[in-house]
Amino acid sequence: MASVGGVRSETFGIGLRAPHVAELLAARPVVGWLEVHAENYMGGGTAAAELDAIRRQYPVSLHGVGLSLGSAEGIDDAHLARLERLVERIEPARVSEHLSWSVSGGSYLNDLLPLPYTEEALAQVAANIDRAQTALGREVLIENPSRYLRFRHSPIPEAEFLAALVRRTGCGLLCDVNNIFVSAQNLNLDPIAYLDALPAASVGEIHLAGHAAVRRDGEPLLIDDHGSAVAPAVWTVYCAALRRFGPVASLVEWDKNLPDLATLLGEAVKAERNAAATLHADADAR
Amino acid sequence: MPMPTLAEIQAAFRRALLDEAEESALATFVEEGPARIAVYRNTVFASLNDVLRDTFPAVCRLVDERFFAYVAHEFIRRHPPRSAVLAEYGDAFAEFLAEFPPCRDLAYLADVARLEWLMRRAATAGDATALTATSLAGIAPDETPRLRLGLHPSLGFLASPWPVDRIWRANRRGATAEETISLAEGGVLIEVSRRDGEVVMRILDDAAFAFRRRLAQGVTLEEAAAAALGADPRFDLAAALSALFAEGAVTELSLAASE
Repeated sequence: MASVGGVRSETFGIGLRAPHVAELLAARPVVGWLEVHAENYMGGGTAAAELDAIRRQYPVSLHGVGLSLGSAEGIDDAHLARLERLVERIEPARVSEHLSWSVSGGSYLNDLLPLPYTEEALAQVAANIDRAQTALGREVLIENPSRYLRFRHSPIPEAEFLAALVRRTGCGLLCDVNNIFVSAQNLNLDPIAYLDALPAASVGEIHLAGHAAVRRDGEPLLIDDHGSAVAPAVWTVYCAALRRFGPVASLVEWDKNLPDLATLLGEAVKAERNAAATLHADADAR
Repeated sequence: MPMPTLAEIQAAFRRALLDEAEESALATFVEEGPARIAVYRNTVFASLNDVLRDTFPAVCRLVDERFFAYVAHEFIRRHPPRSAVLAEYGDAFAEFLAEFPPCRDLAYLADVARLEWLMRRAATAGDATALTATSLAGIAPDETPRLRLGLHPSLGFLASPWPVDRIWRANRRGATAEETISLAEGGVLIEVSRRDGEVVMRILDDAAFAFRRRLAQGVTLEEAAAAALGADPRFDLAAALSALFAEGAVTELSLAASE
């Protein structure tokens, strides 16, 4: 594959969504890798067959949204077993999940809900990650969530909480730079200090996406809706992340207002250009 | 105030998301106000509404989108998903519609939902390898009555007192033709399955419906044949069996314990 400024094209991928699958399989565009939501491929039928066909053409990574690693009640055996079977079948390049929870009292609340960052939560999430990694027999990358609120009792900063999970479980990290930006704006944090607090060697993947700027109760609020192109300010955080983590596998996600495949692929090319410019400039400066 | 445990926080969060009137406990645990809690609540309801609309497009069209959103909201509150695989969300929706007072005038609505649920299930059911009729060769003739046929997991059956196949066709995604369907046309026996990746709906006669539905329920061949003969004395067991195999509908053979 091509290499620009020491950055290899296979570093850059897109989140593959169902409306693009047929076109992707027919046109076979050049893209480094694809990521799918694991939960969309846990049944049989056409979806399963399509994923097998995609896997024959491209590296695929599995991004889980339903394991609920933050649940106080532990993780669901049946769901973990289904993920295990999918991982065996697809042999993904990477497996990732979130620092969040969705399940309480057996109900699955379809959102990535926030955790209080306490010692109790740290022990619980670490135990859940441990179980998942043991069952899957591999490392899971944990993604930082986008946040809209803080708990009154949450003494550990999020980046330190993630660093502690890495130390306790050997998990890797998925650094979502859009989520960092959204959380930082909503909760008055410094995105660069956040990046600095992450253990650089453990970051195995970066996510990029668009967000929406709205007003709630007369105050500005950013919503992580994956509904538009990556914002300029998020590209800035991305370049800072690359300077700190090096040329890590990078992915553009788009869910709401999904554009055509070419536009989405264009965002991945933009990531490649940003990475090349950033890492090239750094190399020149040395 | 003692520090809440993680389990207490999550239970309070769950209650606050599913019912706005129940958010006081969560409000004492968080720094920000109700508008921020609402961001999470909106995501949960909007995304699950999308899932239900996607699974039940004809129901949505029959009641219109605004009313559907209202019904879906009430359903989600009372029956949140039990699994993160959202293609499997909505199995209780038809029963909910049947019991939901504002839908009482649309007697056929629950059956349209049952049909769409069978189609969703057929599309996503696990894959299974079909057996051919030659696999019957290993069964001794005197064992045949005790035979149990495992059918493909995509198969589903619906007996409706309404012409739901026609109602569904007229209201499915992309349907444009306006047509008048008389409920007096009477009922229909429907089989839904997946063949070569495509979801197929077809109408069965009384005997074939009884035979296949009883087999799918796990009864023996003898019992299923008796049900079919009860529905129509002209039922031809050999032909019915060979059709099942030819369609790739049989995926497992086993014998019930002899008495």
